[in-house]
Amino acid sequence: MKKRDKRNWFKFAMLPVAISGLLSTGFIIVENQPGYRNDITADKPVTDGNLKGLTETGSKTSDSKADSKPVPVYGNWKNFTTKDGLPSDKAYCVRIDGDRVLVGTHDGLAVYEKGKWRTYTSKDGLPHNGVVSIDVSEITGDVWIGTLGGLSCWSGGKFENFTQFNSGMPNDLVYCVICDGKDVWVATGGGAGQYDTYTKKWEIFTEKNAPMHEPWTYGISAGDGKIFIAAWGGGVIEYTTKTKQFRDYTDPDGEMEIDLLPDDGPVHDITTGTTYANGMLWVSTYFGLSSYDGSHWKGFFDHDSGLASNFINFVRAEGPWVFICSDKGLSTTDGKNWVTYKKNENNSNGMAIIINGTQKKELPLSPSISHNFIIGVDADADVLWVATSKGVSRGELMK
Amino acid sequence: MKAKFCSTAIFVLIFILPVSFVYGQEKTQNYGKAPDEIFPYQNFTKAYKYHFLIPLTFNGAGREKLAPSGLKEVRIGFLGPLSGSIMVPQGLQMLQGATLALEAANKKGGYRGLPFVLMPHNDAGLWGAAANEVVKMDDEKVWLFLGSIDDIVSHVALRAALKLEIFMVCTGNPDPTYTETNIPWTIRVISDDRASSYALLNYIHEKEGHTRVAVIRPNNRYGRVGIKEYTDAAIRIGHPVVIEERFLDGDIDFTSQLERIKRTSPDAILVWGNAKESALILKQIRSAGLKQPVYCSDRVVSPEFLKIAGNLAEGVVTTCQYNPDSDNPKLKTFQADYLKRFGQEPDVFAAHAYDGMNITIEAIRKVGLNRVLLRDVLTDRKTFQGYQGITGKIILDGSWNDMGDIFMAEVRNGKFLFSPAPPLDLKTKTGSKTGSY
Repeated sequence: MKKRDKRNWFKFAMLPVAISGLLSTGFIIVENQPGYRNDITADKPVTDGNLKGLTETGSKTSDSKADSKPVPVYGNWKNFTTKDGLPSDKAYCVRIDGDRVLVGTHDGLAVYEKGKWRTYTSKDGLPHNGVVSIDVSEITGDVWIGTLGGLSCWSGGKFENFTQFNSGMPNDLVYCVICDGKDVWVATGGGAGQYDTYTKKWEIFTEKNAPMHEPWTYGISAGDGKIFIAAWGGGVIEYTTKTKQFRDYTDPDGEMEIDLLPDDGPVHDITTGTTYANGMLWVSTYFGLSSYDGSHWKGFFDHDSGLASNFINFVRAEGPWVFICSDKGLSTTDGKNWVTYKKNENNSNGMAIIINGTQKKELPLSPSISHNFIIGVDADADVLWVATSKGVSRGELMK
Repeated sequence: MKAKFCSTAIFVLIFILPVSFVYGQEKTQNYGKAPDEIFPYQNFTKAYKYHFLIPLTFNGAGREKLAPSGLKEVRIGFLGPLSGSIMVPQGLQMLQGATLALEAANKKGGYRGLPFVLMPHNDAGLWGAAANEVVKMDDEKVWLFLGSIDDIVSHVALRAALKLEIFMVCTGNPDPTYTETNIPWTIRVISDDRASSYALLNYIHEKEGHTRVAVIRPNNRYGRVGIKEYTDAAIRIGHPVVIEERFLDGDIDFTSQLERIKRTSPDAILVWGNAKESALILKQIRSAGLKQPVYCSDRVVSPEFLKIAGNLAEGVVTTCQYNPDSDNPKLKTFQADYLKRFGQEPDVFAAHAYDGMNITIEAIRKVGLNRVLLRDVLTDRKTFQGYQGITGKIILDGSWNDMGDIFMAEVRNGKFLFSPAPPLDLKTKTGSKTGSY
């Protein structure tokens, strides 16, 4: 009797243990099924080795329709540093202007023309040596330069400077400048500014006259008659130039510490940049990337797409492709296919990681981009220029 | 038979259970130490992405840069309200706390014989002045800087700090969203308003049993963002605030707001604001015949509040980011030295600035004069994790926010009496309990 009791006790004791183990196993299987995306451990970045697994489990890259689109891949990289004539290795921005290339660095404006670099600093008339953003007016050809200490219009070889003291500019640290027809727009920590080059007047947009939470703006872009402002803590502010009406886009969950749903709006309200092309708005944050086609938002993270990192400094769209400047490399996507350029840690070589639909391959590059911390980018038909934490890189479109 | 069953059981134990432990979802602590019941949406679903649990790394260049030769001093920046702001008294306390630490370090030889020199900058000048001031600090070649108190200033400065890659040690701004920007160029060595809100919520609803709380707060960012964690969590435990009234900094008449509050018949009133306005509101609460217990935000822990409120301050409860009455000998020495040097008692901003500056100096002595290496050591969550400052232990979370202890402060006999905040033990309206603080 006693023996039987002991045996029964042992059976009953083991039964819940076994059930618990089997249930746990079941949950593991469920969690690994396609579509099970609410996984706290999903924060872990995907390594190159399991990107293939990503596409197999229903990732955003597995759209067979996209397979037919050729992914532009740039190679034959050439890198430039102070040894080649740059005033500083720390490059904030780059802009292609016809046959020349303008690079903003911490220690001056560098202009690359006919194979040579020339530097312009405050001694030449710039308001500050730190050049953070550059754009070129399509109407006049004037170069507008956002610096750490004011805005400058470079025209006819002279710099005309705008500061808080001598104009109606919102703040002297100009994070982003763009030209939109006759207007010049700046994004600053004191608000967004619109300068009418015809009337010579500034209009400032802050939380007082626009649907921003705060006046802090760090990115700005234009397209289809609209201005898109990256407002720190306020998502994206859309301004229709014709009607002068605002519309804001924020993360619907309203919380800083989570993204409840990836495709319900911008992935986060702390936005760092915007860019618009081909009817698509792209929004960068330090938490991931978002796209908006006018109807639907889509979120992209480093664990569910080919994105190099969620920490994105800058974005620029050219046609269907957006170039994403992250702290772990340069990514390019049309929302379906991806190319990410990375430099090796210990040498100048690197690779382009190409994800075309469900196919992934790594293309060795020698040399690769100058550094993985990407701050600025610009592209034209055949050439890609990249501003990095340590130098500037030029890549050629591979046919 | 028994042997067969045993072998089956062993198989289960060896092969199945370990798998569940290895692959099962690890239950990590919620961001901000928030119990599940008050964590956003946690009562309904899991989020797609959780932020701030794993600290970011900085992947930019700069670690290889050598310190310049021929230096005559080691410059450390300071950003605070030094003129033209209602926060000037607090800004000066912060400056004095930082100065005291710097002077002590210089008496011990500075950095390899070079004196530390503070480069003070006022953050309350032109609109968006903080960004311009950070640029000036970069031009001055500061190695890192302390700042600030105001939440707007701190946000603007932090974004510029990222661009220029100058580390910012935040010693006075408790805005939760400051470290929620995901910028890996700052640490905060003072507890934030999220921690204060949770402590107040716990005290008001669980310890004192109130269910109908009225809120009055300034119509500015400090008021809006500061109270948000309280009001959100109050909803989640089933006790939404009954009314949220607003005022402007500098207001002296709160009659209309208090009339509206009175009509809601609250069983407690929470005043969120600066010391002066909070004291005036308290006086007008009592003159309006409202006898409910009054709770305040931590800015009332000041002589100014006690002076204006007088006897009416008795029984007011608030939070504090440290315990000024602690027996910590280092704190006692600091308080005595501060009084001797500046002729006044140090406040919370002075104490935290003292800790922040000491950490800064220690970081420089550890890794030398390189901005990125300074960033690395200050954010590694090893070197300074658990740093025992005069304000207590500094515990940095994944966003480098200080998760150190919060204290309750109650006015008794004209003085604030401090005690540890009770363990967080919130229950939802339906009675389910939350986790521990």
